[in-house]
Amino acid sequence: MRRGRQIACVCLLGIFLAALITSLDYSLTDALGPGPGFFPFWLSLIGAVLTAGILVQEAREPDPGPLEWPQGPAALQAAAVPVALAAAAALIEPLGYRPTMLIFIAGLLPVLGARSPVGIMLTALAGSFGVFHVFYYWLKVPLPLGTLGL
Amino acid sequence: MDTLQHLLTGLAAAASLQNLSFALIGCILGTLIGVLPGLGPAAGTAILIPLTFTLDPIGALIMLSAIYYGAMYGGTITSVLINVPGEAASVVTCFDGYQMAKQGRGGTALGIAAIGSFVGGIAATLALIVVAPPLARVALSFGPPEFFALMLVGLALITGLSGQSLLPALVMAVLGLLVALVGIDPVRGAPRFTFGVPSLYDGVGFIPVVMGLFGVAEILLTIEKPYRQVIKTNLSSLLPSRPEWRRALGAIGRGTGIGFFLGLIPGVGSIIPTFVAYVFEKRISKTPEQFGQGAIEGVAAPETANNAYANAAMIPLLTLGIPSSPTIAVLMGAFIINGLTPGPFLFKERPDLVWAVIASFMIGNVLLLVLNLPFVGLWARLLHLPYQYVCVGTLLFCVIGAYSLQQSVFDVGVMIACGIIGYGLRKVDLPIAPLVLGLILGPFIEKSLRTSLEMSGGDFSIFFTRPLCLGLLVIAAAVLAASMLRLPPPQLRESNP
Repeated sequence: MRRGRQIACVCLLGIFLAALITSLDYSLTDALGPGPGFFPFWLSLIGAVLTAGILVQEAREPDPGPLEWPQGPAALQAAAVPVALAAAAALIEPLGYRPTMLIFIAGLLPVLGARSPVGIMLTALAGSFGVFHVFYYWLKVPLPLGTLGL
Repeated sequence: MDTLQHLLTGLAAAASLQNLSFALIGCILGTLIGVLPGLGPAAGTAILIPLTFTLDPIGALIMLSAIYYGAMYGGTITSVLINVPGEAASVVTCFDGYQMAKQGRGGTALGIAAIGSFVGGIAATLALIVVAPPLARVALSFGPPEFFALMLVGLALITGLSGQSLLPALVMAVLGLLVALVGIDPVRGAPRFTFGVPSLYDGVGFIPVVMGLFGVAEILLTIEKPYRQVIKTNLSSLLPSRPEWRRALGAIGRGTGIGFFLGLIPGVGSIIPTFVAYVFEKRISKTPEQFGQGAIEGVAAPETANNAYANAAMIPLLTLGIPSSPTIAVLMGAFIINGLTPGPFLFKERPDLVWAVIASFMIGNVLLLVLNLPFVGLWARLLHLPYQYVCVGTLLFCVIGAYSLQQSVFDVGVMIACGIIGYGLRKVDLPIAPLVLGLILGPFIEKSLRTSLEMSGGDFSIFFTRPLCLGLLVIAAAVLAASMLRLPPPQLRESNP
């Protein structure tokens, strides 16, 4: 746990320092008072100091125990979720909502452990064509049709 | 007299067939969110925002509010039947609710929870009607320095009570405030932290961030958890026996008071009122040894406090523009999407909307009671849904919600990134709630700070020479100091997120 928290804090420290340096590009003050860089500068500085404080605190306190990460099939399933989401994000505009979500659901459900082909098929159809109908036609929420108008 | 007139007008608007339907749909969807594993009220409310895009603001806010308190009740069902709280506030209900279910009294536990929630919700809404207008009138006299100090108090309370340690909570709040700065500077119009990416000119969308941090991250965590068995219990008898009524009535009354008063304090979070109500009941009970063994007061008190809190927590939002919890922050985001800024000016400028939403709380509480008592068996059956289908359904709504807000694939990317970040943060026990609240309050804090300094010509003494502002800053400092000294017992602190 401690190592994981330290890595997270180092990442946060990097973000705050990068923001601090970037904020120097904006003016801290101008004729009317505080400029666009005023708030980002002080926030980044405070954030960096506080994060350094956590790092010091972490080094002094006992390790609460190892981080538990998913193992075996659970690890594969957890990794599949962001990958499937990224694929859906990449395909949703060129392919359209309906085919993308049909593939997304039909592909992800078996990876997550669903075994019934009928259940998977029905869910994929409901989640793609059914949900599209509800949102696009009834609720007038714009969903992408893709280059082929699907 | 004005209040009564506004309330009647609001009731008439909320009771229109259209708004009544929105409240009903919201209650059903909210309860569904609470019942299904892997979806808390914050994520659930966020992913259902797209459903309200084409509604008028009153209808949209009525529906989203109904989703919110529906989800607060829905979590009870899983607490009682599978010993897994549907949301953080239902943790305490597991102690005695699950024991009651094991003894074949699951129906009674769910029945008293529904009745307690109804009483707590209605009483808190009535108190809201009395308290909110004068509070909003006082807040109308606030200038930018007072608003800045007030938001600091809110942020201090939220960070002070959100995790095991103050430092991580503060860091996450600062990170949220910093992310809120991405985009065009609202005062000077200069781009900040956009790195030449046009999609960042409008800033980082609040909804994709919340969906990622709460929705996607929660799904990733759900995949890791072993699936729990639904207990077989008697759900046919929902009403308590006469001796049980006698024991529960006092607990419901006390739970209402505790939930309401703690709901007025931003940052207290929904879990603290339920813990306080439970501990208080146990302490005054003549049979404290029965707590944890299926005592009906152990269900009635926290469930009542939970719903009273949920309704009372709307007071800081509606009167001061301060969200008390991540779910309320999502509701605040919904107000903003509809072009409305919660706070005292809303009472002045859109009384029709504010009072219709307040009136809908009463209608919603009645609807929840009607929905939950007769249909408890139906909700219980939903617990048998395989989690794979729930996960995929949730992810589907996350994609729709993130994309449809601005028809932007970039926002879907933000949601995925925030999902992974949220999962990592939860793993290393860094609290997410302060980040979300920093993100929503960021633009308001910066604007009030800069306007204040423009008023004073850059002189910081403006914050210390105005008595109210100074008082609020002292409160913020005291809250942070108290958190540093760990004054509240650790078990009463809000669990991550």
